[in-house]
Amino acid sequence: MADTGRSRRKFLGTLVAALGGLFLLGGYLTPRARRQRTLVAVPREELPEHGALVYREARVAVIREGGAVYALNLVCTHLGCTVQVFPGELVCPCHGSRFDRQGRVLKGPADRPLERYRVELRGERYEVLV
Amino acid sequence: MVEEFVRHLFPRVVLRRNLTLSYTFCLGGLAFTALLLLMLSGVLLLLYYQPTPAAAFSSILSLESSVRGGAYVRSLHRLSSHLFLVLILLHTLRVILTGACRRPRELNWLLGSALFFLAVFEAYTGYLLPMDQLALWATQTGMALLTTFPGGGALRALLVPDGVGEPLSLLRFYVLHILLLPVGALSLCFLHFYRIRKEKGVLPYL
Repeated sequence: MADTGRSRRKFLGTLVAALGGLFLLGGYLTPRARRQRTLVAVPREELPEHGALVYREARVAVIREGGAVYALNLVCTHLGCTVQVFPGELVCPCHGSRFDRQGRVLKGPADRPLERYRVELRGERYEVLV
Repeated sequence: MVEEFVRHLFPRVVLRRNLTLSYTFCLGGLAFTALLLLMLSGVLLLLYYQPTPAAAFSSILSLESSVRGGAYVRSLHRLSSHLFLVLILLHTLRVILTGACRRPRELNWLLGSALFFLAVFEAYTGYLLPMDQLALWATQTGMALLTTFPGGGALRALLVPDGVGEPLSLLRFYVLHILLLPVGALSLCFLHFYRIRKEKGVLPYL
């Protein structure tokens, strides 16, 4: 038989290397979807009608205005201090930025409203999702 | 087929004693290998990088956090760029010490010098692209240095029409980094290799 210079072993080696390369490339080309994580879960009855619950560790405030429930990220949009929650407004202790209960800027130096997290009612609990 | 192509790149006859490692230390070839690695990892980075000031840094963060092997590919690109410059410098040193830059090979010496400057410029344009603090201020410094040279102001206006880190300048650095400089460097590389073969009459090796 004519010697073609190709051997089965070499072919198999190339095949394995090519398949391995394709597998790695495929992994690189499909980014992991961001998984949703529950930041805090609040039992429904613990959230007062016009009140707010503050979770300093998680840096989030769950606020209820009548029927509407929303969560504010307490990281100041200026330089990242944790803003303090007062009955009428939110104040950053570092540079004095003030936000209203909706998270809108009342006074600088922050120039963007506080970030809002998605809140879902699951069973009898409000869950803050990030 | 690939093997035959590669075989044709090399001379038909080589003196055995000239294949010893200490003759050239393969520094030029290693530098070219680093360039090939840079192109491979660079193409992979192109799939995720976004050349706008607002999205550049976050696109790199998401590459590192949510892409499998993303951080590896980025480190590979960065490390091989360092390696590329170091190898080119060592290669230059070897060429000087063995006197390979003398006549009649001075044209290839000039080509090599051009390649060196292209490589440095390529590395410099790549430095801005991540748009982190280091990138921004290093580029700011470089551009300020450039204006101290005669004619540097005009060159700066060409590279940075709207201020370092603004959309147009980032776009120009990007185009230089991924298209103009690599194509230029690659063409010069092939010319460089062609001259080596062409001048084989005066070479003790090859």
